Amino acid sequence: MHNQWAQFINTSVPGANATVVAPVGTTDAATGVTTPGIGDSWITVAADEIHAVCKALKQGEHEFTTLQAISGVDYLAEGQIELCYILASMNKNTELILKTRVPRGDGVKLSKLPSVVSVWSAANFLERECFDMFGVSFLGHPNLKRVLCPDDWTGYPLRKDYVVQEKYLDMVINPPSKMNIQEREFGARHAHIAGATTSVENYSVPAPAKEQ
Amino acid sequence: MLEIHKKEEKLKSELLTVSMGPQHPATHGVLRVEIKTDSEIVTEAIPHIGYLHRCMEKHAENLDYRAVIPFTDRLDYLAAMNMELTYVLAVEKMLKTEVPIRAEYIRVIVSELQRIASHLMFFGTYAIDLGAFSPFLYVFQDREFILRIFEELSGARLLYNYIWIGGVWNDITDDQIKRIGTFCDTLDESLKKYHTLVGENKIFISRTADVGVINKEMALDFGATGPVLRGAGVKWDLRKNRPYSIYSKLNFDVPVGMGEKGSVGDCWDRYIVRVREMHESIKIVRQCLAGIEAGPIMGKVPKIIKVPKGEIYMRTECARGELGYHLVSDGGKKPYRLKVKSSCFTHVSMLPAVGPGLMIADLVATIGSIDIVLGEIDR
Amino acid sequence: MQDSIVLAKLDDFLNWGRKNSLWPMTFGLACCAIEMMATGASKYDLERFGCGAFMATPRRADLMIVAGTVSLKMATRIKTLWEQMPGPKYVISMGSCANKGGPYWQHGYHVLKGVDEVVPVDVYVPGCPPRPEALIEGLMTLQRKIARERMARDRWVKHA
Repeated sequence: MHNQWAQFINTSVPGANATVVAPVGTTDAATGVTTPGIGDSWITVAADEIHAVCKALKQGEHEFTTLQAISGVDYLAEGQIELCYILASMNKNTELILKTRVPRGDGVKLSKLPSVVSVWSAANFLERECFDMFGVSFLGHPNLKRVLCPDDWTGYPLRKDYVVQEKYLDMVINPPSKMNIQEREFGARHAHIAGATTSVENYSVPAPAKEQ
Repeated sequence: MLEIHKKEEKLKSELLTVSMGPQHPATHGVLRVEIKTDSEIVTEAIPHIGYLHRCMEKHAENLDYRAVIPFTDRLDYLAAMNMELTYVLAVEKMLKTEVPIRAEYIRVIVSELQRIASHLMFFGTYAIDLGAFSPFLYVFQDREFILRIFEELSGARLLYNYIWIGGVWNDITDDQIKRIGTFCDTLDESLKKYHTLVGENKIFISRTADVGVINKEMALDFGATGPVLRGAGVKWDLRKNRPYSIYSKLNFDVPVGMGEKGSVGDCWDRYIVRVREMHESIKIVRQCLAGIEAGPIMGKVPKIIKVPKGEIYMRTECARGELGYHLVSDGGKKPYRLKVKSSCFTHVSMLPAVGPGLMIADLVATIGSIDIVLGEIDR
Repeated sequence: MQDSIVLAKLDDFLNWGRKNSLWPMTFGLACCAIEMMATGASKYDLERFGCGAFMATPRRADLMIVAGTVSLKMATRIKTLWEQMPGPKYVISMGSCANKGGPYWQHGYHVLKGVDEVVPVDVYVPGCPPRPEALIEGLMTLQRKIARERMARDRWVKHA
């Protein structure tokens, strides 16, 4: 199915460079048995062509009439932000994850890619959310403002290297009197155990003493 | 020309901006709608959201897979069981966990009861929005029964953490099954009574029929789902079209709006779709109560859950529409990214398209009929 | 004549009136608001305690039940609402989120860690969400607190 879609994209939008990525399977070295990968496959396309690709998919034979979500994923190590456009078709009962990548930049100068608001009105709020959370700018969006955070917020919260600002207006975001220092210390001491998720780097907590 | 006409020419009119919310009894939480009105007619309705942005997606990235479940509860706090179910199904699909059949039945029972509880809440609050208070008191009696059952099952009234990866936390007893059965019978009767009281009421019909019409094209364009889409006449229900859990074994109908009192896709259609869905849910619960088998309630799950590298988009039909989780795993103990596709978020983005032309009171009726929950919108 | 005259201190008389006719504001933020509604609805019936007249506007209310997570975007609005209420006014902080940030205290970049950062709180009700009984308990605690008020001493007189 995905190959069919990728072929359709490549024929209708030259330069989209659509490729199917299937989940990576694992091969057992001893027995030679290959277990297929888990999860959904997806199609990657070039970022500049995303509007044309979406338009073709909506109007073409595959009838992806609705845009379900635009989900950003920040890959810090690779320096890229991945945008997953999740499309669905009700007539064909199919869904497709369409991916594209843009450089993540430094958080000041934002990467740009074409907006798909003219294809689906649903994209209006979804792209605003993406801009709010990841700092990706959409060209041709009618009203690209923050949607969840306040307008005067700094930073893009769902980036992996996000550090929360100390104060918003006159409100301290993490007042020391309200922080549960004991629990942070406990979390730091038990970081090797599964489920202990507290990271100590961001807070000035004395290093735990070595247990005898 | 008469003198009075000359005076009128000098008068100029301008739009009045009214801010409805974030504290407003009709916005169901902390939604703010900026309304530009020409006398009583809305010319522009701009929703402002984010007043309940609780950073759930950030939390999900920092907690292990089991610890995310309580946070999914708090997304749509009126349909917490459905929220849990979707997340758990997504993780189980990645882990390839086998869920015991008894657990599957219990899951469907609780999520359908939760759907009924959520729709009952809609029924009560929608009546309040339109000026009737007593239906609210009626439906809360029935809702309290469902909460009572959930409390016995999970220990909590509202946010349960009951559906776990691999099964459910607690077993259901024969006595509870019997009580749910009798409750279904009484609810079936009382729902009909409530519907004649509210839905067939002349004032209710004139407040809702032909008001806030969302037609099929608009619904698809905005990606609307759930009762809003079905109210627009599209027969689409993931439980039927893409069955998950044991829904493929069950027999039920998908009610759609038919424009009985006005035109297709008006507020009354969305109301009646929800009322009929409650009857369908009762049907499903009855089938599950009859078909439930003895057996274990928890499958084999590793102590430390490590989801293999990959990603999945799992969607199910919740009380308010389709809920989707886009789960990206890097093979670690925590999700790399968990994106929540919320139906209310898309529904609230329709307000600028639906609002213009309505009276302010009709806008209240429209917002109420879309049935938003701010926890899910802002996440 | 003997039966129709009651002698009491003015303080006691005012407090008696005040504590038995609290008018809360219809003001729900999140999950706890649903439990607050359940408390006001048929089974738990807040009306029994003289606290059932939910007012839609802060100007007619004297009790604010902060039911739910307070985000930073909302915090300034809560302060405005509190300032709009006529004195004497009381605040019940309902649920863990309003008390201290609740489950969102750790990574909640957009969550205010407790509503007492912006408005003074009289009674804290723990729970996530608190049961209706817990809210009623919190309300009765507030009533006991009001019963002990002294006009000359207490803040609402000084700041009025």
